[in-house]
Amino acid sequence: MSVISRPSTSWRSLRSQLSRWSIFVALSAIFGIILVVAPASWPKLVTGIVLPGLTLAAVFFLLAAGLSLIFGLMDVLNFAHGSLFMLGAYLAWSCNVWLDPRYPGHWPVTIASSNLRFALGLIIGMLGGALIGALIEVCFIRPLYSRPIYQVLLTLGLVFVFDALVRTIPAWGSLSRPPIKPSALSGSLELLGRRFPTYSLFLIGLGFGLALLIGAVLQRARVGMIIRAGVQDSAMVEALGINVRRVFTSVFAAGSGLAALGGAAAASFIGVYPEMGLEYQLFAFIVVVIGGLGSYGGAALGALLIGLARTFSDHLVLETSLPTAIASASTVLVMALVLVLRPGGMFGKQE
Amino acid sequence: MIWLRRLLPVAIVAVLASLPFAFAESTTRFWQGVLIQIFVLAIYALSYDILLGFTGIVSFGQALFLGAGGYTTAILLHREQPASLLVVLLAVIGVGLLLGAGVGLLSLRLSGVYFSMITLALAEIAFILFRTDDARLKPYTGGEIGIQGLDVPALIDPTQNRLHFYFLALASMIALYSFARRVINSPTGRVWLAVRENETRAAVLGYNTLRLKVAATMLSSTLAALAGMLLVLYEKSATYEMFSVSMTIQALLMTIIGGIGTLVGPLLGAATLRLLDQWLKSASVSAFLPTWLRADLLFGLIYVALVLFFPAGIMGAINRLRGRRQQRSVQQVAQALKPQEALEESR
Repeated sequence: MSVISRPSTSWRSLRSQLSRWSIFVALSAIFGIILVVAPASWPKLVTGIVLPGLTLAAVFFLLAAGLSLIFGLMDVLNFAHGSLFMLGAYLAWSCNVWLDPRYPGHWPVTIASSNLRFALGLIIGMLGGALIGALIEVCFIRPLYSRPIYQVLLTLGLVFVFDALVRTIPAWGSLSRPPIKPSALSGSLELLGRRFPTYSLFLIGLGFGLALLIGAVLQRARVGMIIRAGVQDSAMVEALGINVRRVFTSVFAAGSGLAALGGAAAASFIGVYPEMGLEYQLFAFIVVVIGGLGSYGGAALGALLIGLARTFSDHLVLETSLPTAIASASTVLVMALVLVLRPGGMFGKQE
Repeated sequence: MIWLRRLLPVAIVAVLASLPFAFAESTTRFWQGVLIQIFVLAIYALSYDILLGFTGIVSFGQALFLGAGGYTTAILLHREQPASLLVVLLAVIGVGLLLGAGVGLLSLRLSGVYFSMITLALAEIAFILFRTDDARLKPYTGGEIGIQGLDVPALIDPTQNRLHFYFLALASMIALYSFARRVINSPTGRVWLAVRENETRAAVLGYNTLRLKVAATMLSSTLAALAGMLLVLYEKSATYEMFSVSMTIQALLMTIIGGIGTLVGPLLGAATLRLLDQWLKSASVSAFLPTWLRADLLFGLIYVALVLFFPAGIMGAINRLRGRRQQRSVQQVAQALKPQEALEESR
């Protein structure tokens, strides 16, 4: 009789056998199966599924990168991250509308060029988000480091406050506002015989450019080194004589600015409405769970997978005429499955 | 003095039972309605406190349980042959238990923030599914309109026999409060406290903490589902708003105003929140407030201020005045929310 018991097939042992790439492989397999069930021609696949997926991925990435790094560094899961995305969107939308000389209630100062208004909207959205993020960290998060549960409770309260604030401001209100595109990016390109909006290409470029830039900063620059070290062990970094609290505030501000920039860029794509914050926040959660909380590379790869998963499931729903609500529900199922099978995600710390 | 303390619950119940007769003829109906809402919200807040205050689980999906109970009631009553109230009650309890077990088993294996995330996501999915006007879901959920104009049995119909419904809500609150109190003081409830204080230690002592936490979630979800049932019976309608994040925030707000980790706290919190809402909307006060300061914005700001400055709530203040149990309860809350353990959990 052997003394060593055979490995049991419980969840725990199944979990430990799964490699980090299993999620990637499983999702790719699902994409393959969807294409078999609901076939698409090459031009349709590229311009109707993959490129829109990448567009969504770019927006998800801008949200998820900051969320993941903030959690990794200071163990704060910011439930108000989506609200910053929404505020960035509203700020950019306001720049596009209120600075327009043709708009009846415009501001005293106006800018005639819609491209310039758009660029200004992006910058103001990003800076506004970063400023609000820094204020949140200093005023609300910092006093509560000794009571972490209250930090989470507080950030959820901020979601409520920002939502009420947006609905309170008369010019913003509860209504959904249509997107306003700058003239330079409002056209469309001819791709494989199908038309594809230029603005989506701009979003893809913005997302991928920033992903590479931030990745390079994290890998090469001194600041990036400090942040990566802080994710590993913030107490040790502090012991080495670095003011970790200041790093916390700046990363919180930078992450918030990134989310707000994502919102500002998305405002000209999906329009603005008060619920957008929570809606995209959920996608950001799914992304960081799949990638692994605290991992930058995980957030980037997770955004890619979830962006594609969203458009692939939309395609499946359209082809097989299932209810569209199922498509939005399915992404949460993906998150639940990943959490049960591999709670640390692809690159996170395993429990 | 001890006999006075024994009499206190009896006196409170007596006051609550005679309250509907205390108002003037013209306003009594209105105030009965307010009190009914307070009782229902109190059950909902109590359900939240069992998770947050007694087991240390941060759920952001309490609205899911409330809405599930509410929609179960509405769907059962909206048919050609409305189900009897007993069937509705059993169905709501069943849905509450099953949903609590499902959500708990799925997500309680994970530590704190993951549970919060997954519950928030599940509630939001329910919100999306029940709001869509999809042709295949609408016959069941009613889409954006929800399910309106339910036939409630005449005996407890809140429009015809509001007084009956008042006593039903009051009796439900007292019964569920006593039940929760009994469970919290039982051996299981004591181990919940141990899980809250230090989960690793409770596990090392041989308790199956996962099973205990799932049990707490099941109790909490059933109470919330019952609150949802009463809410739907009172409003005679169910809307997708029951699943919204602001419903979860309301539960949080009531629990924190009243005092986390106390059984009376959520009841006081529910009363405070509802009466404050009434007071803010009354003509004399709203004339004072600037127009941009809406009630929900004000509640959000109050909530943030409470979390920052008065984490122990009304009960914390009462206990501090009494001075006696203050030391213990404040220490308990402080202990439960220690940074060290949370950091270990997230690792």
